[in-house]
Amino acid sequence: MTSGNPSVLAKPAVIKAGESIDPVFRQIRDIVYKACGIFQLDEKLYLLVDGCGRRMKQLGLTNSRDYWNLLTAQSSRDAELRHLLNELTIGETSLFRSQPQIDALRKVILPEIAGEKIKQITKRLRIWSAGCSTGEESYTLAMNMLEETEGLLKGWTIEILATDLNDRSVETAKAGVYGDYALRSTTDYFKRKYFTPLDGKKLQVQPEVKKLITFSRLNLQDDSKMLFMKGMDLIFCCNVLIYFDGPSKSKVINHFFSNLNFGGYFFLGTSESLLKLNDQFHLVHFPGAMAYWKPSLKSGKL
Amino acid sequence: MTLENHEAWPTMTTTVTDKIRDRIERIVTTPSIPAVFLPLVDLLSGPAEEANLDEVVRLVSYDNAIAAQCLRVASSPLFGMVKPPKSIAAAVMTLGLQRVETIVLTSCMGEAFSREKWGIDPVAFWRHSLGCAMVSRKFSEKLAGVDGERAYMAGLLHDLGFLASSMAFPEEFAVAVERACREQIPLHEAEQATMGFTHCETGRALAEKWHLAKDILDVIAHHHAPTQAGSAGSLVALVHLSDELCRVRGLDYGYYERHKVDLISDPAWSILLQDHRDLEGVDLARFTFELDESAAKVGEMVSAIFGPVAA
Repeated sequence: MTSGNPSVLAKPAVIKAGESIDPVFRQIRDIVYKACGIFQLDEKLYLLVDGCGRRMKQLGLTNSRDYWNLLTAQSSRDAELRHLLNELTIGETSLFRSQPQIDALRKVILPEIAGEKIKQITKRLRIWSAGCSTGEESYTLAMNMLEETEGLLKGWTIEILATDLNDRSVETAKAGVYGDYALRSTTDYFKRKYFTPLDGKKLQVQPEVKKLITFSRLNLQDDSKMLFMKGMDLIFCCNVLIYFDGPSKSKVINHFFSNLNFGGYFFLGTSESLLKLNDQFHLVHFPGAMAYWKPSLKSGKL
Repeated sequence: MTLENHEAWPTMTTTVTDKIRDRIERIVTTPSIPAVFLPLVDLLSGPAEEANLDEVVRLVSYDNAIAAQCLRVASSPLFGMVKPPKSIAAAVMTLGLQRVETIVLTSCMGEAFSREKWGIDPVAFWRHSLGCAMVSRKFSEKLAGVDGERAYMAGLLHDLGFLASSMAFPEEFAVAVERACREQIPLHEAEQATMGFTHCETGRALAEKWHLAKDILDVIAHHHAPTQAGSAGSLVALVHLSDELCRVRGLDYGYYERHKVDLISDPAWSILLQDHRDLEGVDLARFTFELDESAAKVGEMVSAIFGPVAA
């Protein structure tokens, strides 16, 4: 029995966590979930509380009920929700943001895709980072795929398409220069292997990583362009769809479904979900990560 | 998954069945399960507000080991009491029913199975068992007509076979556990590959010996192959799905499983759907997020009693 363990002494605060939160924030969490599928766990509810706090400060509000009224009044709710979502997704852009997602990709999904493509002569893996912002996710994917080129992906062609609506983001992404904050979850192993130090404290992504990625500007609501994004094995679209209204979101998701190969996967941000907007995708679980799966033809599950 | 084709007694050779029964009989003869265990778990598995506190205190007092453990944990600095509780009643009040339940369970199992022989990390085992109990009950709330208390109990005991295997087949089971961790595969697959049978069979033998109720026994025997459970299908399917979810949401056995869970393609999902059309309306993503919340609480509770899960 290890109950005399000193770690017991170090954690008393945890047990009381979440008990003193104003119930209005749980209601706001429900509004946010229903509007865009983002769900903040109780243990992360402080992020929502902080986000609301910043908005209230900007608006000069002191009472959370007043903020609730603003979020629910028909005249103000859409605009305010957008502001709040901006606050909630701040700081989510770093490299290696979700290790469980990377583990699922390398340990479970890649072996599965490699198995499906075993008979194909030219082996190609196509990944789309849709809404790539300033490139953190795209480079994380590229580095992890490079790690596999000596094993599972030996001899494969790897193509990563990274698109964003914002021109400036795309330019920043192409430069591939990151500071401490964006690199806070990147291990020394990856920093040494795939980055070159610049003046100051910044690191630049090396050319061998960059050459896997094509950055370009794309509007996910541009139907004609969306039709061209064919043959994807994986699509990542984190914290982008939350800004879309129901019908536009549904349209984009249907595009993604046709853009994917059978057996392909679609990843959202870690606290995002599709809100049952598409019943062709299967919600699948990996340790610590969720994804939407377009069933393979041979699984007969379509 | 390899176990889909696997069945319990009927298709196993008599020799293997006899071997399992014989070992269980010999190894777990004494001590048997403490008498207060089942009544206490029964009492505690319902909603907290309905539990009869006096009855809990009465049952706890019957068993020295459980009573002592309740007093000891309630006196720990974790609860910040100025004076340690002096009576069983005060200890039970301090701890809250959920923690009392964990203590009951762990003390009882601790008495029945000598701890140094456990083939798996006890902390991870309890975290998974309590987690599965909690998820099973949560799941049952989404389905009309399912008894949440039964679901909780079934979730709690579904992996009883791990304890039975640890005691009855210590060397063989250790090999299976080592292989599962090394190859990052589900434990039952590793057991099947190395031992030729799994914790479902050893658990069943022990459940028979302990005269556990038929529905619980079915869950213990079939939770990895719910299509073979026959009439008890619904409860077995529910615990199967909860078990799968636990293993991908941090209530695992403490190692990474290369495991993809596709609930709606799972045969267990179809079994449940036959009796519960309301399952179609469940928002699985949201259910998962809510589950994470409770999972964090289970994790904290188990750590508070045992210390952290070994890395």
